[in-house]
Amino acid sequence: MPEVKKKTKEHESVLVLLQEAQEKFGYIPEDFMANVARSLDISLSEVFGVATFYSFLTCKPLGRNVIRVCKSLPCCLKDAQMIIESVESELRIKPGETTTDGKFSLTLTNCVGACDKAPAMMINDDTYTDLTPGKISQILKKCK
Amino acid sequence: MMWMDVENITLTINDSSVSGREGMTILEVAKENGIDIPTLCYIPELSPTGACRICVVEVEGSRALVAACHTPIAQGMVIRTHSPKVLETRKTIVELLMASHCGFCMICEKANICDLRKIAADLEVGLPRFETEKRFYQIEDVSPYVQRDMSKCVLCWKCIRACREIAKKNVYGTAYRGFDAKVVVDCDQPLNKEVCRDCGICINYCPTGALTRPKKLGEEKKGKPLVISS
Amino acid sequence: MPQKRVVLKNCGIIDPRQIATYLQQDGFKAWQKVSTEMTPEQVIEEVKTSGLRGRGGAGFPCWLKWDLARKSPGIEKYVICNADEGEMGTFKDKYILGNDPFSLIEGIAIAAYAVGARQSFIYLRAEYHYLLDLLQQAIKQVEAKGFLKHVKIDIRLGAGAYVCGEESALMDSIEGKRGEARYRPPFPTTEGLWQKPTTINNVETLMNIPQIILNGASWFNQIGTERSKGTKVFSVSGDVAKPGVYELVLGTPLRELVVDLAAGEKIKAVQVGGSAGRIVPYDKIDTPLSFETVLGSGAVIVLNESRDIVNAVYKSLEFLAEESCGKCAPCREGTKAIVGIMEKFSKGEGSERDIKLLEQLSSALPLSSLCGLGQAAPFPVMDSLQYFKDSYQSRIKEKKVGVVK
Repeated sequence: MPEVKKKTKEHESVLVLLQEAQEKFGYIPEDFMANVARSLDISLSEVFGVATFYSFLTCKPLGRNVIRVCKSLPCCLKDAQMIIESVESELRIKPGETTTDGKFSLTLTNCVGACDKAPAMMINDDTYTDLTPGKISQILKKCK
Repeated sequence: MMWMDVENITLTINDSSVSGREGMTILEVAKENGIDIPTLCYIPELSPTGACRICVVEVEGSRALVAACHTPIAQGMVIRTHSPKVLETRKTIVELLMASHCGFCMICEKANICDLRKIAADLEVGLPRFETEKRFYQIEDVSPYVQRDMSKCVLCWKCIRACREIAKKNVYGTAYRGFDAKVVVDCDQPLNKEVCRDCGICINYCPTGALTRPKKLGEEKKGKPLVISS
Repeated sequence: MPQKRVVLKNCGIIDPRQIATYLQQDGFKAWQKVSTEMTPEQVIEEVKTSGLRGRGGAGFPCWLKWDLARKSPGIEKYVICNADEGEMGTFKDKYILGNDPFSLIEGIAIAAYAVGARQSFIYLRAEYHYLLDLLQQAIKQVEAKGFLKHVKIDIRLGAGAYVCGEESALMDSIEGKRGEARYRPPFPTTEGLWQKPTTINNVETLMNIPQIILNGASWFNQIGTERSKGTKVFSVSGDVAKPGVYELVLGTPLRELVVDLAAGEKIKAVQVGGSAGRIVPYDKIDTPLSFETVLGSGAVIVLNESRDIVNAVYKSLEFLAEESCGKCAPCREGTKAIVGIMEKFSKGEGSERDIKLLEQLSSALPLSSLCGLGQAAPFPVMDSLQYFKDSYQSRIKEKKVGVVK
């Protein structure tokens, strides 16, 4: 497991370190959290507390492509439920699950700020808008 | 030396004029003047957290109620600690805590010395009417020093602060978010730390039966006869 | 027309990747005026005269935050730009950041000068990660022009937590911790980020600053109503033909926004301010949009006659319960309890007793919650009970079942 660089800066941020790990590994391994705790001289529970607070951080491995379908009111008004269902049937997984080949994870998320082009979803850092069930399979096919 | 401090701030609590020193909280001044404000997450020797909101009081000119445990007094403040609005609000909060609390008082070790139960009784909160989900967790009885039954936890965060600030051990942390928030050890593992030997400070601070001293089978028979104190 | 471009003046006109195009539009003239002709006190005085209030929802006077932070003892001070726009139905800051990052940077430069801060942070929500590069490039270009010698601007990314838009939680998040609300006092202006004096301003608030300096406080002061000066940028979504971002003079009736501009038809109600916003029924559609009436973050979600208000409220509260930080009891337990009751109504199992419980929670949460999230959470419940009680009652009578459509 990669070592966390020993940092002496007073204001070193647990969150920033965890975000880096999330980006690098696709999740935050327990050893990494332990290293963060050691190098910043705080308890592991504190690091775990930060990791579990934010919805974009996860302690379990996710697929290469994390699909976050918006389920907030503006998207609901534009049939987000149909989008959720078509992703589910396309990938044969339910929200919270990962495909067996490790390619996709599906989760539902709160407002992604694309309400004028609802329904919307994010795949990793990219936002897809004005979705229709027809568009879903095309978008998913393009994912590596 | 108390007599040397100048009581330079005057304020009104429940229609009587009282005075306090700069930096005191509403709760401290109320206490000095024999006014009882219920608290759950507050302990004088620990830093306040303002989490339980049971000590809320009415301050004239403030739209919302303020928590007495962390709000400093100010000159000319007019405070009501037991107005109908305050009592209604306190009752609702306690009722909410009782609703998700998974404890079963009849068989709970803390039954008659439970802070939550006492506060509920004082406020005349009966069976909670909210049908919220109950928090349920497995009992953690791995540690020979502290037993945790997190189903009974009301998230007052006292154990975290006691462990951090008094015991200086920093075993606990807060994890997850919203209703799922929980006091955890490491990555939510059952408590089993050697540093807890000869400590148990957190147990003394727990307002409910969430933290207890593990009992060996038959131990209670060796002790004094069971007297239920209140 | 009540449409007026102050904040969005340069959006769509400049190239957000080319500072030269911004300079052509009087870019950084305000900063040059500030840095050569004005003392920090004069800047604060100018903002005070303008009457600018915070655009994040609470409407706190902008100058007062600056003044308090300036007067707080200490050399280390911070200016934070709140770009954690998480409120359901809000996307105006995304539009602003993507189209005119330079005005924002100029606003931050002026704010930092006024407050005496040498470090500034832009807290950008994780969902807007794709804007990170654009913003960083913009900061670099401004630095290269020599306009940021007095302050360093860093960007911190959020990680998916709505509550981090609340200023005290936001500061904890920048410190790398869980984004939990802090109790106040102490206020951020005395003990903020790393316990140092800090001002936190919304993106839109800071966007107004260069315009106020350039055109003068009295120019700005003439726009809007008595207690709501200037314009407001709204994000309109839901049942309208033309959803999008609109900037209007404060005090403009809601009707002009949702009917005339966004082309909404057969409107039943409008949720103004997002998940914890107010519900305005159609017969009150002429309500002016201002701090005195309804405003919030500027999220405007339009519901037409086919929609069920009970379901819309259910969705809003579900959002808030999930996003509650979990620190204080009334918010953590109360939002969950409301969701439980709303769920009963959506299953056709609600009762008169449940309405009483909703009323009880609606009164307790605003009074006792630690931060704005819990305090505002029951607003949609309260408003729907006031204006659409029949929706609840018909569900009780008919045992009507239904999910949000």
